[in-house]
Amino acid sequence: MANEAQVATLAPIDAAHATTDRDFIQESAGIRNWLITLDHKRIGLMYLIAIIASFIAGGIFALLIRIELLSQGQTIMSADAYNRVFTLHGAIMVFLFIIPSVPAALGNFLLPIVLGAKDVAFPRLNLLSFYVYVLGAILALASMVIGSVDTGWTFYTPYSSSSDVGSQNAVIWMTGAVFVLGFSSILTGVNFIATIHKMRAPGQHWKRLPLFVWATYATSVIQVLATPVLAITLLLLIMERGFGLGIFDPRLGGDPVLFQHFFWFYSHPAVYIMILPGMGVVSEIIATFSRREIFGYMFVAMSSVALALVGFLVWGHHMFTSGQSEYATMVFSALTFLVAIPSGVKVLNWVATLYQGQIVLASPMLYGLAFIVLFSIGGLTGLFLGTLSVDIHLHDTYFVVAHFHYVMVGGTVFAFFGGLHYWWPKMTGKLYDETLAKVAFWVFFVGFNWTFLSQFILGSRGMPRRYYDYLPQFEDLHRFSSIGAFIIGVGILLMLVVFIRSLVGGAKAPPNPWGSAGFEWQTSSPPPLENFSRTPVMTRGPYDYHLATEAELYSGFPEDFQKSRNP
Amino acid sequence: MSTAHTDAAAASHDSGHSHAAHDDHGSHGPKFLAHHFDTPVQQFDTAKLGMWLFLAQELLFFAGLFVAYGIYRSWYPDDFSWASHQLDRFMGGANTIVLLFSSLTAALAVRSAQLGTRKQTSVLLLVTIVCAFGFLVIKFFEYQHKFHAGLLPGNLFNPDIHHLSASTQGLPIPAHGGSFFGIYFMMTGVHGLHVIIGIGVIFWIWLRNQRGEFTSEYWTPVDLVALYWHLVDLIWIYLFPLLYLID
Amino acid sequence: MSAHPSHDHDSHDDGAVHAHISSIRLYVGIFLALIFFTVVTVGLSLIHLGPLNLAIAILIATVKAALVVTFFMHLKDDNRFNALIFVGSLLFAGVFLAYTLNDTGRRSEVERMQGAYVNDATGERAPGGPPVVERAVQPGAGAAHGGH
Repeated sequence: MANEAQVATLAPIDAAHATTDRDFIQESAGIRNWLITLDHKRIGLMYLIAIIASFIAGGIFALLIRIELLSQGQTIMSADAYNRVFTLHGAIMVFLFIIPSVPAALGNFLLPIVLGAKDVAFPRLNLLSFYVYVLGAILALASMVIGSVDTGWTFYTPYSSSSDVGSQNAVIWMTGAVFVLGFSSILTGVNFIATIHKMRAPGQHWKRLPLFVWATYATSVIQVLATPVLAITLLLLIMERGFGLGIFDPRLGGDPVLFQHFFWFYSHPAVYIMILPGMGVVSEIIATFSRREIFGYMFVAMSSVALALVGFLVWGHHMFTSGQSEYATMVFSALTFLVAIPSGVKVLNWVATLYQGQIVLASPMLYGLAFIVLFSIGGLTGLFLGTLSVDIHLHDTYFVVAHFHYVMVGGTVFAFFGGLHYWWPKMTGKLYDETLAKVAFWVFFVGFNWTFLSQFILGSRGMPRRYYDYLPQFEDLHRFSSIGAFIIGVGILLMLVVFIRSLVGGAKAPPNPWGSAGFEWQTSSPPPLENFSRTPVMTRGPYDYHLATEAELYSGFPEDFQKSRNP
Repeated sequence: MSTAHTDAAAASHDSGHSHAAHDDHGSHGPKFLAHHFDTPVQQFDTAKLGMWLFLAQELLFFAGLFVAYGIYRSWYPDDFSWASHQLDRFMGGANTIVLLFSSLTAALAVRSAQLGTRKQTSVLLLVTIVCAFGFLVIKFFEYQHKFHAGLLPGNLFNPDIHHLSASTQGLPIPAHGGSFFGIYFMMTGVHGLHVIIGIGVIFWIWLRNQRGEFTSEYWTPVDLVALYWHLVDLIWIYLFPLLYLID
Repeated sequence: MSAHPSHDHDSHDDGAVHAHISSIRLYVGIFLALIFFTVVTVGLSLIHLGPLNLAIAILIATVKAALVVTFFMHLKDDNRFNALIFVGSLLFAGVFLAYTLNDTGRRSEVERMQGAYVNDATGERAPGGPPVVERAVQPGAGAAHGGH
């Protein structure tokens, strides 16, 4: 126990270690060493690859949906095929992409680093949860080969418990896949909570945790408390289908609305599993590119926890038209409005952070700012849907589709890509082409609004969701929306080009290319195997720009940031 | 922006939290200490926290079944009462005692591991496993009777009047008995699955104990497996009155 | 080093684990109490108390569960945060039950059109309708269930 460790601060890794220590990518090469690794950074990167593959698969299904809807009647596929395609789009995007996206990929990589730890609390459990995820993905693939589900990603009974459309028990395979994926999510949640509680370096107390960590913490709480209910729900559904349990199937005295309660007890909090980590990412990005301490740090942190807890109390707002008790409906509607408070606190604090900040419009910041705008639209249209009388009109229309795409894509996916750009130099040790990245952002941003703004109008005019065909008056808007989907596709492709070019021939990244005061930027890029060459002692918060030394902030950054430094 | 700021000042500011930290890969402490932990107590606390979080998700997993039970009992109270009388209270009670006893031996196994008496720990773990098997055997006979009498879930519910409990002779067969047995088989089935998994895990811990991995300084896995086993007991404590003892 | 200043109740300067070891007498005593409560709960179930039966059964089960958690699972001497996790998870399970019952127990109380459907074949009501007064179902009436 050397005493010198006590005075080691966040100062950049001392030169002696930096040159001798190999980074985690060089450490032990070979595919086998990656597949059995216990290092959280490698597991995070493996997750990242799997998740991006899932995103591309889900995206292809989205494009198929939009091609089919280009014109009335049959365009490229039958109605049955259409049902399967939108189900697979939903199930893949929700269970294989969004839920693990930020926590399992970015969170795994960053959490131990910003805590000043060598690894997550349970490294073997971490690897296990990755392989459980892979197993779930394989089961989902199997369900597609066998004949595909056509129930929608929500698997509502009695259709899912009795339908013979599609084919032999694809429902069982797909729900089995989601059941398994749920356990991957639970194990990650358990691991992260234990890590945040017990693995923090000296000086890294609760009030110094980066907001990304607070958001991950809140997410993990939901993962641990809500996901098991999904697991038992799907188990009951599988049994209902296999043996006729008589719990969800009305022919046997069961209650299909009960399935909706079970499903949404998980799936509403799961919406916060999807959005909270995105909010955490945006908090980091906004602070870094405003060169300011985040406004109202504790409010932002606590609003994450509040969202996680309140998120458990509002699931019935998905069921206003299901025939549930009017009393339940009223309570759920009233509580739904509570969710707006912590969400509003966050948006207010981000905007207040921007005020008088030294704003740098780098590519991650563009995603961060887009998040604020798009999430606000998504959140506010959520209030329409939380209002009982308005929801009767809007329920199960494209308005709902547009609303949750504004939150899930405009929110989470923008945050995920923002985070990917932001931490890319840290994760890979490579810089990317800023200009092309910005072009990709704008294409994506324009395409996104193009696609989904028109769907708000479609929905408010009465176009129901999940329909294969539509009335003539909706054709123009549907066509408009479909063109937007292809613009999104081009944007994503451009972004992939940026990343592939960076991997192949990108310049070497300095430890702190953005000039951030965050902890993860104080170690080399990419970090060494155990993150820090010695256990760091945290001496300031991650947003204390007034305390950070020049050396800590600007170890080597692209030239255009230099200007913003000296206003 | 460029505030004068020295490391020493910052370090003293934090002196309350900063203890001596490991920085060397060579001298890392006892063998059982994983590389990413600094002290045994940190490792122990982390493991316990992780286990309690796992138990929390177990509780929520079972909560779904308890909610289903609560709703169907509130809808069909008479059917539930009828169906409950078809269960064998004697066997259920015996299983309760078997499971409580195994919980005692599991708790004593932890105590023995804490004291470092390895042989005693092994014996207590084996007794726990034997009780678990006993539980499953009794459960098997119960299930056998239910299959025989046609007391099955949902659309398989087709009671054979000659095998029903004497206390319900002459009463009409309820329409929703199948809902009760659906829930009964799910609850006891999922619980039984936990018992089977428990047998496997306790056996693994027994093997590790035989190999001499645990000492009076390191017995965390014994503690964790006992926590799991107590949870299995805990669930049964609720299942027994809710399923077997409906008036 | 302790990574966690505020929650380490067991942490001493040497960083080793210091367990609280209970006596065999305590464990056996708890076990006997659990057996006692099991006998009581079986006994009480034979007495007809109406809805009180359920309340008492749950109360006794909760006392037993509390004994197991406090002593067998050492929550008494454990980190208080672990106790919070346990109690918290029960709280969320309670929310789940209470909210769902708030629906399933009170459907169509305001608008009677909603929720109360009758199966024409059997004359049975679908679950969740207004309280059904006449509960008697003729033997064999449930077509799917075959009766005798």
